[in-house]
Amino acid sequence: MKSLPKLIRRFVSIMILSSVLLIILNFALLVIYTLNLVPNGSPWITAQEVADNLVQNANGYILDKNTALELQNMNVWAIFIDNGTMKVVWQTDNLPRTIPMSYTVSDIASLTRGYIDRYPTFTGEAENGIVVLGYPKNSFWKHMWPSWDYNFIANLPKTFLSVLAINVALIFIIYVAANSRLLKSVKPIVNGIQALSTNEEVHIREKGLLSELAANINKTSDILQTQSRQLRKRETARANWIAGVSHDIRTPLSMVMGYAGQLESDMQLSKSNRQKAAVIVRQSKRMRNLINDLNLASKLEYNMQPINPERQNLIAVIRQVVVDFINMNIDEKYTIEWETDETLTFCIANIDKDLIGRAVSNLIQNSMNHNGQGCHIFVRVIAKDTVCTVVVADNGVGATDKQIEKLNNTPHYMVCDEKATEQRHGLGLLIVKQIIFAHGGKMLIKHSEYNGFEVNLILPMVM
Amino acid sequence: MDYDYLKQKRILLVDDEQELLDMVVSILNEDGFQNIKTAKTVSEAVTVSESYQPEFAILDVMLPDGNGFDLMERLKKTADYPMLFLTARGENDDKFRGFGLGADDYMVKPFLPKELLCRVNAILRRSYKSENPLVKLHNSEIDFERAEIIKNGEHISLTAKEHDILAALYRNAGRIVTIDALCEAAWGDNPFGYENSLMAHICRIREKIEANPSQPVSLITIKGLGYKLVMEGK
Repeated sequence: MKSLPKLIRRFVSIMILSSVLLIILNFALLVIYTLNLVPNGSPWITAQEVADNLVQNANGYILDKNTALELQNMNVWAIFIDNGTMKVVWQTDNLPRTIPMSYTVSDIASLTRGYIDRYPTFTGEAENGIVVLGYPKNSFWKHMWPSWDYNFIANLPKTFLSVLAINVALIFIIYVAANSRLLKSVKPIVNGIQALSTNEEVHIREKGLLSELAANINKTSDILQTQSRQLRKRETARANWIAGVSHDIRTPLSMVMGYAGQLESDMQLSKSNRQKAAVIVRQSKRMRNLINDLNLASKLEYNMQPINPERQNLIAVIRQVVVDFINMNIDEKYTIEWETDETLTFCIANIDKDLIGRAVSNLIQNSMNHNGQGCHIFVRVIAKDTVCTVVVADNGVGATDKQIEKLNNTPHYMVCDEKATEQRHGLGLLIVKQIIFAHGGKMLIKHSEYNGFEVNLILPMVM
Repeated sequence: MDYDYLKQKRILLVDDEQELLDMVVSILNEDGFQNIKTAKTVSEAVTVSESYQPEFAILDVMLPDGNGFDLMERLKKTADYPMLFLTARGENDDKFRGFGLGADDYMVKPFLPKELLCRVNAILRRSYKSENPLVKLHNSEIDFERAEIIKNGEHISLTAKEHDILAALYRNAGRIVTIDALCEAAWGDNPFGYENSLMAHICRIREKIEANPSQPVSLITIKGLGYKLVMEGK
């Protein structure tokens, strides 16, 4: 649910940004439009130009041709009111008839501020009077009473910003209010989808705007749960079946091993018969190991093997495994060397010591199984940074690059979903991998520095 | 040390498979055990136990009229003697339950005859100590009951720690005992950081048991791993 507030923040900031940008854009457009409307200045300037260009001679007043032409083009009429007589003493030819020819002082004040017969008028001051320009009707709208309270003008920037802020706040409140319902119905949906991804059972109330979506999520959850239960049931049945078979085979195998063991040491038998018994013992042991491995591998695969991690000294656990092998009086062909740095007395990790011991036993046994001619096995524990590494290496026949690549990357046939036509490798390494993965560690297979095989088990260290 | 007296112990063997009973009896007979009675059910085992007064029992867990765990509880109520589970059930939970009830060992089938005999003899040795408690080493003897070493007729006392360390080594005589297991035997469950103290104690034990402590023949160092107690004649 971390993404929802982030989403809301993002929406709100986009909204505020777009509002501000919109206001700026509007202002810019207004300014450009206004400037386009008055490309040659205001009519007041034109009126002043006319007043300046109106020249008095013996016959009266004359306006220069260019200005007259300009006024004609704009369809603007002009009059000149004499200061002394308050009468029109000069006019353009296009003066409408309705325009009075004499004025009082109040008429002058009125036309300066506003209109004559709805013609917007503009004045320019000449030497002996006043020039009045009359623009076509409806071409200008004039402020008749252009005065404001001083404080209003003085506070205008502040007022403008306040209004802007209030507007933005209002937009925000409207947005939040309008979307809160949507967000309310989105929240359980988001929670539900997140729960689905972790395979939790989901049931969302099917109400509100997104009820259809909620119903679909509930349905998906039901399907996933049913599938998960069926899968679990099938996995449990498979693991139980393997456990059952391995249990039932133990007692008959006990008798094979037991009697073969007795025959192997029966000095009354001939040497060749004792050797035959020894082969039966050896093969029975292989079967016993296979049963144990198969059972453990299937339980680890289907998460049925309880793992009880505790703070343990990994060095003590591995040392015990090595000593157990030496104490078993294994074949003289195989020697085990403890290579751990003597100054390293402990390396604490959260492990199930039985399972980790089993993993390292499997690796030592693996070296023996693959080196029938005998080999020297090296075991060491290394503590570096935040990891403990258990190294089991040998100087035996080793493996090719291709085999090592395959062991590192190809899934075991027991956990492979493709049809397995070849047995990729024994269960021993699969179990080691499963145990190490269950402890949050990694397994790495490589060539050993002694020209043989090497497996590194990398486990997180507890500080 | 002479352990022949252990072969006379009365053994009760309980398993529902007649052929397995026959085989285990033959394995034990071959090793010298003569007094063995068998039972195939819980009720039969209880009856035999009452009349035979066994001194050691080997029990299966799955029996036709009950299970070995309940049987052990019933047997332990009347007499406390060592018991070993020999079963096809190899789950840790079963093992913990067995040991929790007081079993001396727990073996999972299938097994090798040698393995069974080693465990049976070890349990009997621990449970029935001979009247002569002296453990013979190359140059001395250990008297665990008195916590002393007898070397050249001289009695040398062992400290409590030395006694614990020697006892742990003796229980696994001829086998390597790890540094960690020895520290645990002497200092309990959290034995981190006692390696140097252990070395000091080993030196003192050598001075007491060896003729030449700088060239030990009874208490051998296995570099990096642990120590081994070598008995006379082995």
